[in-house]
Amino acid sequence: MKSRTALVVLLVIAAVLPHLLARHYVDLLVFAAIFAIAGLGVGVLLGHCGIVTLAQPVFYAIGAYASAIVTVNLKLSPLLGFGAGLVASAAIALALGWPVLRLTGYFLAVATLALTMIAGALFFEWDWLTGGTIGIGGIPKLVVAGVTLDTPLSFYYLAWTIAGLAMLLVHNLVSGRTGLAMRGMRDSLDAARVLGVDVHILRVQMFVLGAMLGSVSGSLFAHYTGYVSVASFTIDKAILFLLIPVLGGVTSIPGIVVGALFITFVPELLSKIGDFHGIVFGIALVVVVIAAPHGIVGTFEHWLARRREARGGAAP
Amino acid sequence: MPTSLIVQAVLSGITNGVIYALVGMGLAVIFKGSRVINAAQGEFSLVGAVIAVFAMKAAGFSYPLAFVTGAAAGVLVGIATDLFLVRPMVRRNAEEDSFLLLTIGIAFAITAAVLFFAGRDYFTLPTIGPDGVAILFDATIRYHAIAVIILCGVIVAALRFFYRHTRFGLAMMAASIDADGAATSGINVAAMRTATYGMGGLLGALAGLLVAPLVPISYYMGLVLTLKGFCAAMIGGLSNPMGAIVGGLVLGLLESLAIVFVASAYKDVVALSALLVIMILAPNGILGRAGRKGG
Repeated sequence: MKSRTALVVLLVIAAVLPHLLARHYVDLLVFAAIFAIAGLGVGVLLGHCGIVTLAQPVFYAIGAYASAIVTVNLKLSPLLGFGAGLVASAAIALALGWPVLRLTGYFLAVATLALTMIAGALFFEWDWLTGGTIGIGGIPKLVVAGVTLDTPLSFYYLAWTIAGLAMLLVHNLVSGRTGLAMRGMRDSLDAARVLGVDVHILRVQMFVLGAMLGSVSGSLFAHYTGYVSVASFTIDKAILFLLIPVLGGVTSIPGIVVGALFITFVPELLSKIGDFHGIVFGIALVVVVIAAPHGIVGTFEHWLARRREARGGAAP
Repeated sequence: MPTSLIVQAVLSGITNGVIYALVGMGLAVIFKGSRVINAAQGEFSLVGAVIAVFAMKAAGFSYPLAFVTGAAAGVLVGIATDLFLVRPMVRRNAEEDSFLLLTIGIAFAITAAVLFFAGRDYFTLPTIGPDGVAILFDATIRYHAIAVIILCGVIVAALRFFYRHTRFGLAMMAASIDADGAATSGINVAAMRTATYGMGGLLGALAGLLVAPLVPISYYMGLVLTLKGFCAAMIGGLSNPMGAIVGGLVLGLLESLAIVFVASAYKDVVALSALLVIMILAPNGILGRAGRKGG
């Protein structure tokens, strides 16, 4: 019961907060929601399948370009843009993931990094499709129930609602049979195989799910900023999306939110010193990996659980 | 197609190839010594080159002295990486993905630090020998590139001699092949791993120092070097540092021929696609098992 009360309190704060903040900070909160969705996709793979993926910018870009091309070039509905992005990213994730996910560990991580670099070069070269460095501008604002989402405040609610739904989806998925199979696969590959889990198919499925989350995130980004170009899909994004789950805690849903807030607000807080946030990101990653391998929120949750055990109470 | 164009492509392919080989050898040495893929290997090159540049510009060092300073900086960064970052994780028995995240973090921090302290400028170092070109079958090659190729050969020979014929090198090999066995014969396994990282740092810094006179370097180039080096090491077979030479040359030639026959824009696409195909289809490298014996 306690955790449900806490959730309600958090939701109320989340609903009221943007009204109290300056527009600029609401803008950052919108980006936090958008990045949280992409980071969630990376977190599912890392936390439940032990896969380090650096390929998330590929699918983020596919979502963004799909929305831009469908709404600007083809002048169709934004919903079709979201749909096109989901279909394209799922198909591409399936086609790439099928061979690439035969690899594990370091090799898989390097392979996903190579995918992001290859995709970056192609997005740059195929300017007939993507607009290259000039990009595609004039992406229309989203309209929900007659309201045009043309301010950070109005977009805030949509972005966090979608982020919340995505988190709920992932939470339900990992709490069920699929989640058990995934954890079995992560902790003991052979045992999972013996129990009849088709490891390769499960990994590909999760890769496709992660890619689709990346695509939704990219589509939201395109509609929010109204402009997409190759500059938004560089390798830095791969590190950002990886930082979100790792900093917060790979298996912790609240951890994703904390990670997303960290990567959006820290650069802002440090902006006076110049390009200093990169150093902080790098050091934060190193420190968390060495000192708090479950992430900031994950470590806190572990500590809470241990304390509860020490008091002899049952887990809720 | 004129022959000179192809000769030119081959020459530049070999030049790039030996640089990739150096980065790849650094990666392979660290992988062999600690089973960790060091995602910050290209950043070690960046550190070596940038320190040398600043030693000349800010401290007024002569070129040879700056070169040595840059190489020493590489060794120090490598040693520090093991002592302060890898060692606590080894003690905790951390998993493979944690080491990967660690080295990604190191790479990101070094890139950001170079950007913060040195800015977005491009840096060059003076050439070894006269700054001119030699003409070979109507194609040109810079004297520095010839020096780089010869030096790489020397480094490879020295490395091979070190690992096969010196007590220290043999102890490092032993510690990596059978840690428990090495420990019982009185080898300090942890110290050997630190030495391995120092060696990786040295090879990385040398790559940076040698490439800087040919290609101006900037803060963001570490990642590309890491990937190309990894590609070289992978083609040659990761567990054999000498395989990286073959891998580097194959990659360099593949890239420069792709520029001639496909388009320069697709150079990286061709190289990275080759990497993907090799990792999936030939995980032991093109030399296969035979390549494993060489190290």
